[in-house]
Amino acid sequence: MRIRGTFIEDTFAEAFTMRAARIIITAHSLTWARHAATKLTGFATSVIQCKCEAGVDRELDPKETPDGRPGVSVLFMTMGKDDMPKRLIERIGQTVLTCPTTACFDGLPEVPDRVAVGSSLKYFGDGFQASKVINGERFWRIPVMEGEFLVQEKFGMQKAVGGGNFLILAETVETALAAAEAAVSAMAGRAGVIMPFPGGIVRSGSKVGSRTSKTMIASTNDAFCPTLRAVTASQIPEGVNSVLEIVLNGLDGAAIEGAMRLGIDAACREGVRSITAGNYGGKLGPHHFHLRKIMG
Amino acid sequence: MTDIVLTLRAALSHATDLSCVVPDRFAELSNGDLGNLPVWSAAAPRIPLRLGDLFAIEGERSSSVHVKGDCRLGEGLGREMRGGRLDVEGNVGSHCGTAMQGGTIRVTGDAGDHLAGALPGASRGVVGGEIVVLGAAGTWVAERMRRGLVYVGGSTGEFAGRGMIAGTLVVGGRPGAGAGQGIKRGSLVALGSIKPPEGFRLACTYRPPHVPLILTRLKTAFGAHLTDAQVHGLYRRHSGDLAELGKGEILEWCTA
Repeated sequence: MRIRGTFIEDTFAEAFTMRAARIIITAHSLTWARHAATKLTGFATSVIQCKCEAGVDRELDPKETPDGRPGVSVLFMTMGKDDMPKRLIERIGQTVLTCPTTACFDGLPEVPDRVAVGSSLKYFGDGFQASKVINGERFWRIPVMEGEFLVQEKFGMQKAVGGGNFLILAETVETALAAAEAAVSAMAGRAGVIMPFPGGIVRSGSKVGSRTSKTMIASTNDAFCPTLRAVTASQIPEGVNSVLEIVLNGLDGAAIEGAMRLGIDAACREGVRSITAGNYGGKLGPHHFHLRKIMG
Repeated sequence: MTDIVLTLRAALSHATDLSCVVPDRFAELSNGDLGNLPVWSAAAPRIPLRLGDLFAIEGERSSSVHVKGDCRLGEGLGREMRGGRLDVEGNVGSHCGTAMQGGTIRVTGDAGDHLAGALPGASRGVVGGEIVVLGAAGTWVAERMRRGLVYVGGSTGEFAGRGMIAGTLVVGGRPGAGAGQGIKRGSLVALGSIKPPEGFRLACTYRPPHVPLILTRLKTAFGAHLTDAQVHGLYRRHSGDLAELGKGEILEWCTA
């Protein structure tokens, strides 16, 4: 299969099950909601070292938020159920609570699995905190110097999919970067999907484990490193000198598939030799995204 | 399951105890059972009437109840209600929603005294649910409320929110004298002018972050007439009652 001259490999992206929460941050202005979201999602590229993966899902119109103010929707993901409350408490406590004028709401109200967050953060109020039950949901009002921080007591948590991906194999780094940027731009703002790496793009794709260390969980994906083409079992075709990866996490497989379709299409262009995907022979995760099926 | 509709046959001439009108209890009753529920009227205090004598009753076995007619002399509607929905098209008399535990009551007209009140001698009144009166209400609204949301679209008589333990009372008009007196916790949101009792002290003027949620809920779920300026406006926070715990608040909307 070719799209505008770019070869689509007959392979699949292999993804794994994660747990996701959606956090709605509102503020006096979109600027301040963005500030909080930027900090909340900082250093959250990969669970390998960051313990969580997070990104801005989309920006919200005041009509879409619980308190009628501008907001940002953040998808927040961890590998296990037990990790979620810890990560949310420490991150919301340090990044959203501290940010002027913000409030923090659950973006998955219909999900039955609930994680206690506000009920821990309330202790910052040192006994001056107060709660309100509105439409069956409890909110905590924590007094702060600027006024009050409002945070929902519990956040919904559901199964999600992490590690959807595709790789862009290009003749030059400039072409690879332009194609990856176009792909991210095409996929950005889609509800239910985040791209947790810087600018949505990864240059350091990894393989499971390491040749030289037993303690390393992941190490460089030498099969796709152009500089190692001559000395390793390379999967880089002749003429390819740069590879960039797009990693996608989503609330479900359909969300990832929809985004991949747009992203791959946007990346196909002159100078991009092929599009492939990372997989581990089906051993890593149960979610498989077949490129040709998606683009067919 | 269709809703139960009670249509008043004729205007009540005397105070009448309608505390049998409780949606969650109606859920198990047939139309005949509903019609036989006892009702006490001041016109004949020793002889019980039947609910069916006063109301034409449609439907059965439902916790969603509509009452049509002017029940300003009907007392105790929704008393100790635990769930369901009670919609009244018209006025209600005193003691509506006394000691309510859950569910919703919506009244399109006015309410009498002791709306959302407490049972005599009880340490706490309403402990859950939502009561919305689009018109005005009498004295002692939400007395000793422990939890829940009460909204009065118009003004209230004296001592609204007296002795509240927690929960939220929103008054769209002007609360009468003594509003908020003796509250331990909880919020009295006054959209009309209010003179806080002596036990309150002005804390600050700010935008309480929970108020938009509460007022938006009242607008969207109950059709309360609230403006964007009220939903997103500034409020003066008076903390009190300092003669009690002092963890309560009167939030006074700043009109300008």
